[in-house]
Amino acid sequence: MNRTPAATFRAGVETALAEGWRARSLYAAEGGRVIRLLLTGPDNQTRLESVVVDGEGSVPSIVDLAPAMGWDEREAHDLHGMLFVGHEPLRPLLDHAAPLESWTVPVRGHDPYQVAVGPIHAGVIESGHFRFHVVGDKILHVDARLFYKHRGLERAAEGSPAASALAVISRACAGCMVANSVAFTTAAEQTLGLRVTSELARARTFLLEIERVWNHLNDIAAVCAGVGMAAGNTYFLALTERARRLNMNVAGHRLLFGSVAIGRSELVLDDDAVRWCARELAEINAAAEVGWRELAFNTSFQDRLDAIGVIDAPTVHRLGTVGPAARAAGVADDIRTTSPYPNYRGFVPVTSSTAAGDVRARLEQRVLELRQSFDLLGALLDSGPVTPAVAVRDADRQPRGIGLVESPRGATSCVIECAGDVVSRVRLRTGSYANWPAVSHAAAGNLLPDFPLINKSFELCYACADR
Amino acid sequence: MFTLLRDLRRLRRDLELPRPDRGRSLAIRHVDAGSCNGCEHELTLAVGPHYDLQRFGLGIVASPRHADVLLVTGTVTTRMHDALLVAYHAMPEPRRVAAFGNCALGINILGTPDSFVGPVSEVLPVDLLIPGCPPTPDQIAQALMKLIDARRPST
Repeated sequence: MNRTPAATFRAGVETALAEGWRARSLYAAEGGRVIRLLLTGPDNQTRLESVVVDGEGSVPSIVDLAPAMGWDEREAHDLHGMLFVGHEPLRPLLDHAAPLESWTVPVRGHDPYQVAVGPIHAGVIESGHFRFHVVGDKILHVDARLFYKHRGLERAAEGSPAASALAVISRACAGCMVANSVAFTTAAEQTLGLRVTSELARARTFLLEIERVWNHLNDIAAVCAGVGMAAGNTYFLALTERARRLNMNVAGHRLLFGSVAIGRSELVLDDDAVRWCARELAEINAAAEVGWRELAFNTSFQDRLDAIGVIDAPTVHRLGTVGPAARAAGVADDIRTTSPYPNYRGFVPVTSSTAAGDVRARLEQRVLELRQSFDLLGALLDSGPVTPAVAVRDADRQPRGIGLVESPRGATSCVIECAGDVVSRVRLRTGSYANWPAVSHAAAGNLLPDFPLINKSFELCYACADR
Repeated sequence: MFTLLRDLRRLRRDLELPRPDRGRSLAIRHVDAGSCNGCEHELTLAVGPHYDLQRFGLGIVASPRHADVLLVTGTVTTRMHDALLVAYHAMPEPRRVAAFGNCALGINILGTPDSFVGPVSEVLPVDLLIPGCPPTPDQIAQALMKLIDARRPST
């Protein structure tokens, strides 16, 4: 790993970005003595850069080169106290004691006023605060203040062996539990010198894709709720329930808790279970298609979606937006294309037909991705029963490991650093964390009553970001 | 739209959910005080068509002002503490508090201690415990029925 002097750090990052690398995660390590930057190459090869924090607690900011690292720098400041020279103003992210003026963008002019919403919302929704700067119904700007659910999970995981750390990190978020856990186990297995066999990879692919299925069904229901279309919402909630029951049947938990472990899988699907599962998934798929056709031809529903909450391709690249939100803007970016798991071989990401990056495109994107997941699952189940699997020890232990996974909400990275047998640092950066800044950008210029719809079209987890 | 409604009616018929034998109702306000979102995902489906808690007069309402019960998920974080109290004090009397899910009950709390105030019972008087990680829609339904059937509060 390169340990770059502060003086050349920015130049190095600039060169890497020009060569097609992208900044994926930035965090404080070694007790706040260094900042690490995770870069991924065009084929998702990974690289960790380190820069030493100087005597004043400062490091050069790279937020102007890679705006996607804006939240990461703010988090490192709030949790570890380091200063990022050039990141101005360095607004608080997790520090809720900071005064209002310090974390909101000043909005001046004729008639603007603020609408404060949350942290408690009107439905069954996670907690988070949005401060809208509006004129009448028109949103000029949104400042999101999340991290009400910050549980200090990374810190709690540190100092314990990888298996105990997984138990903590896996509960960062129920919706992306499998994806986050696989990112963690991938990193942990590198540190332990374990290689994932094709059978173990197959079990994990199955779990990752059934997690994507229930999430995407849930997210389509959420968009329907966002426009108050009860029939569509209820219909897709019923399908979500069917997918959760499938989870329960195959993995013993409706949200798949406990299904991912380091170096092994205990998932068993015998011939009967494989047949039942394939049939059930095919029926859910068929019903989802019926539902989608009804939504597609419901003009009063579709009228609410066009040109609302736009995140276009240049914005995707600038903000580091990932997952369905990026693909809905035509950016065919998906960690599965470079996954070593055999069932993802030849995977080509699908992008929405309009590539408009609006609510309609993000909704259609879920439908297109559902089809891909059902295809992947169908092919996987066609190749026979799923049996318990273990990883093979065929490499030396490593002090660090990196896991990359495509969660239902996009690229998720997990970096683990070890000291002997214990995890000394873990950083989980989820698709939701990457995409929250895009929600604020998407909302600007739209009407306040459309914000719930815009928010639902991203359907990001607060728990995933807050940790 | 017709197809969706027709299929939902068919589902309703196939499920054969029992008819309610109660005339009472309970308005519920949910507050996430620091969950992993698992409780929220299951609570959402408890009011979906397969369980349909609304048929028992159980409804999730938009404001604590409209609520009989405050349903709290998650171990209460330091950052959610004040908002949770504001929601509680906005409720009309008589009011009940349900701690929903293992984290809210203080079972196997994951995280750094200084991020939390503690389980819900350390912040508010709790009338009903709904254990589970997360509680399944069936467990949610059963637990809330107990509250709706209770003639007087358990505390």
